[in-house]
Amino acid sequence: MTIDAAAYVGEWPFRALEGTVADLATTMRGNRVRRAVVSPIEGLFYTDPRPANERLLRRLARRRNLWAAPIVSLRMADWREQFATLADKRRVRAARLAPAFHGYRAAQAGEAADLAAELGLTLAVQIRIEDERRHPPFVKMRDVPLEDVVALAAAAPSTRVVASAVRLREMLDSAQHIRQLKNLWLDMSHLDGLCCLKEARDAVGARRLMFSTCWPFFYARSAVLKVAEAEMPAREKDAVMGGNAERAFGLA
Amino acid sequence: MIIDIHAHPGYSHSLKGLREEFRVALGVAQQHEVDRICLSSLANWEDSPEPDRVRSGNDAVLALMADHPEVVIGFCYVNPRHPQEALEEIERCVVEEGMAGIKLWQASRASDRRMDPIAERAAALKIPILQHASYKTGGNGTGESTPADVASLAARHPQTMIVMAHLTGVGERGLADIAPYPNVCVDTAGGQPEAGLVELAVRRLGARRVIFGTDTPSRSYGAALGKVLGAKLMVRQRNLILGANARRLLAGRITG
Repeated sequence: MTIDAAAYVGEWPFRALEGTVADLATTMRGNRVRRAVVSPIEGLFYTDPRPANERLLRRLARRRNLWAAPIVSLRMADWREQFATLADKRRVRAARLAPAFHGYRAAQAGEAADLAAELGLTLAVQIRIEDERRHPPFVKMRDVPLEDVVALAAAAPSTRVVASAVRLREMLDSAQHIRQLKNLWLDMSHLDGLCCLKEARDAVGARRLMFSTCWPFFYARSAVLKVAEAEMPAREKDAVMGGNAERAFGLA
Repeated sequence: MIIDIHAHPGYSHSLKGLREEFRVALGVAQQHEVDRICLSSLANWEDSPEPDRVRSGNDAVLALMADHPEVVIGFCYVNPRHPQEALEEIERCVVEEGMAGIKLWQASRASDRRMDPIAERAAALKIPILQHASYKTGGNGTGESTPADVASLAARHPQTMIVMAHLTGVGERGLADIAPYPNVCVDTAGGQPEAGLVELAVRRLGARRVIFGTDTPSRSYGAALGKVLGAKLMVRQRNLILGANARRLLAGRITG
């Protein structure tokens, strides 16, 4: 069963996206994706992402194959309460942190990682959303260093941590550490380059990689074809296409 | 037929290394049923290489053309900052050795008058120019063309066929810049597979002015093909983008 480990719904202010839940459902059907973990795009921009999360949960209410990864800003004084509230929601499997958008460093998320483990939430950390060369001129946002997320996962071995939108180069640079961590998974949506997934698999192992589209920013078909061209053994392909996401998000 | 209008041999500095890199790329391309690959050197990825570097880069492409004549279509890379040598290289690679296009990267902008003799020669030979272009937030490099530079070249040389590279990098504004010039197409090579851009290009330019490309090895064949196969297009439009448009541009130089 194919699971998209990183999809989003909502509006992006810098270009038009077809990002409704209905659009997502159509895209999933067209690409034979059965389930998806979804975050609200607006939550990246709100000082307090809670209203965006509430809208997301209402939109997903009748979609049994969609799970939520609401966004929480650790700059909010009540982020612990927000974690606890989310953990009580049936459709929520993860809390997504976007340190670059909300103005803190991933290295400051240690307590959030501990609390996530306590509450049974997965902690997803957004490395980037788009190529920095395409950022609007007023945006001076730096990508989250993957090594900070790796260090976060290493310091919180009971927490399931997902690094979202990782590039191949940074994955290769941290591969040795990543291989040692059983609680860290990587979303493959931003991997690119000839044979990128095969190279990533060789570097960190198939058990660390999750099929993910970064839809509606990217064409979902690109992710499907990247997996196809990697020509992995069936067991590894099954893990990447869904088995790893089941473990990472507790979906089984 | 699927034609990749925009690919490079690899990162290696030796022909042996490039042969090995391209062997891998070819395997992936064939897995995706890509029939032809338009290959151009970037002369060791230097912004403004000296003529001897340009020649050795093109020599590697000629070697790969000889190795894989049924697949590889060579594009002749030239540096317009060395205008005389650029024209001589076009004679050598296109007229004498059978390359089918000219590749321009970021040695000088397309609006630079030093481009003119190259564009005139391309028109005379009826071969396309593949011109790198981008709109970067932090500003382009000195010799890196924006789509507006490409539009300037197209306006000066309406008989020259130009493929403006990098749909993702030029974005909606780049499409608007070249829309008035029917001698310019856009390729889908490079950048992340940003959803909706292929459909946008078809709406702005028409499907006959959008051409599939990958920019491999820096980009994945799967990701690049996913842009076209994942776009909401009619079958006829998809076929034009994947191969028929390139075949038309390279008229007479593709068999099979």
